[in-house]
Amino acid sequence: MIVVELRKLFRRPRTWVTIAVLNLLPIIVAVLLVLTDLAPRPGQGPAFLSAVLTNGALFPLAALAIVLPLFLPIAVAVIAGDSVAGEAQAGTLRYLIARPVGRTRLLVAKLLAVLVFVLVTVVVVAVVGYLVGVTLFEAEPAAGTSVSGTTLTVQELLVRTGYAVGYVTVSMCGVAAFALCFSTFTDSPLAAALGALAVLVASSLLFTLDAASPIAPYLPTRYWLAFVDFFRDPILWRDIVRGLALQGVYVVVLLGVAWANFTTKDVTS
Amino acid sequence: MLLALPLVLRLWPAGDDGRSAADLRTAVLAGADQGWSGIAESSGGLALPETDQLGTIADLFSDRTRMRVWWRGPEDHRIDVVTATGETDLRRTAAGRWTWDYQSDRAGWTPAAGITGFALPAATDLLPSTLTRRLLSEADDGELSRIGSARVAGRAALGLRLVPADPGASVARVDVWVDAETGWLPLQVQVFDQSTGTVPALDTRLLEVDPTAPDPAVIAFRPPPSADIRSDDPLGLLRDVADRLPDVAFPDTLAGLPRRDVTGAPPSIGLYGRGVTLLAVIPLPGRAAAELRRAADADPAAVHDQLGSRLTAGPIGILLTGAPRNAYLLTGTVTPETLAQAALALPGLGSQR
Repeated sequence: MIVVELRKLFRRPRTWVTIAVLNLLPIIVAVLLVLTDLAPRPGQGPAFLSAVLTNGALFPLAALAIVLPLFLPIAVAVIAGDSVAGEAQAGTLRYLIARPVGRTRLLVAKLLAVLVFVLVTVVVVAVVGYLVGVTLFEAEPAAGTSVSGTTLTVQELLVRTGYAVGYVTVSMCGVAAFALCFSTFTDSPLAAALGALAVLVASSLLFTLDAASPIAPYLPTRYWLAFVDFFRDPILWRDIVRGLALQGVYVVVLLGVAWANFTTKDVTS
Repeated sequence: MLLALPLVLRLWPAGDDGRSAADLRTAVLAGADQGWSGIAESSGGLALPETDQLGTIADLFSDRTRMRVWWRGPEDHRIDVVTATGETDLRRTAAGRWTWDYQSDRAGWTPAAGITGFALPAATDLLPSTLTRRLLSEADDGELSRIGSARVAGRAALGLRLVPADPGASVARVDVWVDAETGWLPLQVQVFDQSTGTVPALDTRLLEVDPTAPDPAVIAFRPPPSADIRSDDPLGLLRDVADRLPDVAFPDTLAGLPRRDVTGAPPSIGLYGRGVTLLAVIPLPGRAAAELRRAADADPAAVHDQLGSRLTAGPIGILLTGAPRNAYLLTGTVTPETLAQAALALPGLGSQR
């Protein structure tokens, strides 16, 4: 069942178009940086972007920071929102659940397919970012500098980049869970994706308000940028652990709601 | 239940061993050499005037600042100011002080001989431990009282309140919460001014604490090869200003506040007061006075009267007064009335009014 869903997802041209478009923005940023040699001023611009002018090997992290606030969540919301509602809109959902596989299994298969999409997308962004970085900028393949000014060996840099890729992937699980949950309530994939994006925009807006500080620790986007903390020395685990736990809570609660709705829903389309 | 857990932990009753305010103050002041590490966060509501040169300082008192701290003593510590996209670090050792700014890829070095007690405000000054010692070091026992106990950073904390006795003080009270287990580590400091009531003008607290001395290796620093290494001046732009300031014969007392000596302070700046009631008087060269007057005129929060232009940011008062060729900037944690009284007693100003 999971293999069927994965095959279906990755055989669709729009999946790969989405991934390609996602990589376009970091490439444009890299080209502009090379042409102008103008790094963002301290405190402005995405994380790591000012550092890539001296070490292009850090561009995968800058690429993740570029796509993380908006483009990556949009891609995840579109794919996850389409997973159930897309079948309903196409009129294939009732045929799917007519098979002897059970609705719970179908929902789990849809979720796993979305999570694999998230992982593949994040890894592709990182790999393309690395290739662009070492091609367009001067790279220091022997070592890197941590955010705290200490030297990181190649092994440390690779391990921490791996952690960051994993963390960004987990951060997108909340988006996927929102979109998948909404996807079980509507026959419109667009409505499900927009619903998830509305939640994320509201979360990002509330995070900037001092008046919302009591609820800030529970906002789904609160800890997204904590992947930068892997590159401090020593690693700052506080927000990373909280970010992982928060995504876990959102995924469990939203999938519980999605499961309760989907397994009891009267599917007619 | 998950959502309620942090609230329950915060409201869980904290024990109080009945220690006196004077004993608690003594223990806190003696704890400067004790090692600890943790994460601190300060939040200020002080809307200081924004200028190009003082932008970082204004941010420090008006924004939320998160710091990682490794403390082994006043001359052996590391403080990282953590932001979403980088960090600005300070590493202090017996030899001197390194600063590191990741986003500028810049390191600065100050030898120990160049570090004095007078410098521009930095993140270090906002740590609950350093701020508490600064505020309590000159307090009289009569100004201190106990205010029960509470939970801070998940730990039981003993409350200590400072109410300044000086009638010219703009600080209404300072509440300090000291870790009950160690007895010497301040976990939270809240500064209230006369107008804010129950909302602190400045609140700095520890979010996580490990009350054991950190490894010295975590404090050591060697700048990365790519870094732009410079020589730091703790006085920063004050050095340039101080060199151009006119010499003034300051009185021994001003608005009832005694003059004080601070090591490293330029002699052309007059410093007055005690404890949390402090006043600085800076005579301004004509051009600097004109620039500041233009900035004050453009600030909608400034109040202009016969004496000059006034600004208030929480407990901090600012007064720009005098004629272009005989101007002063007065600033400190004193009431507007005290600022006016001090201005009128300054050389060359009192006789004009």
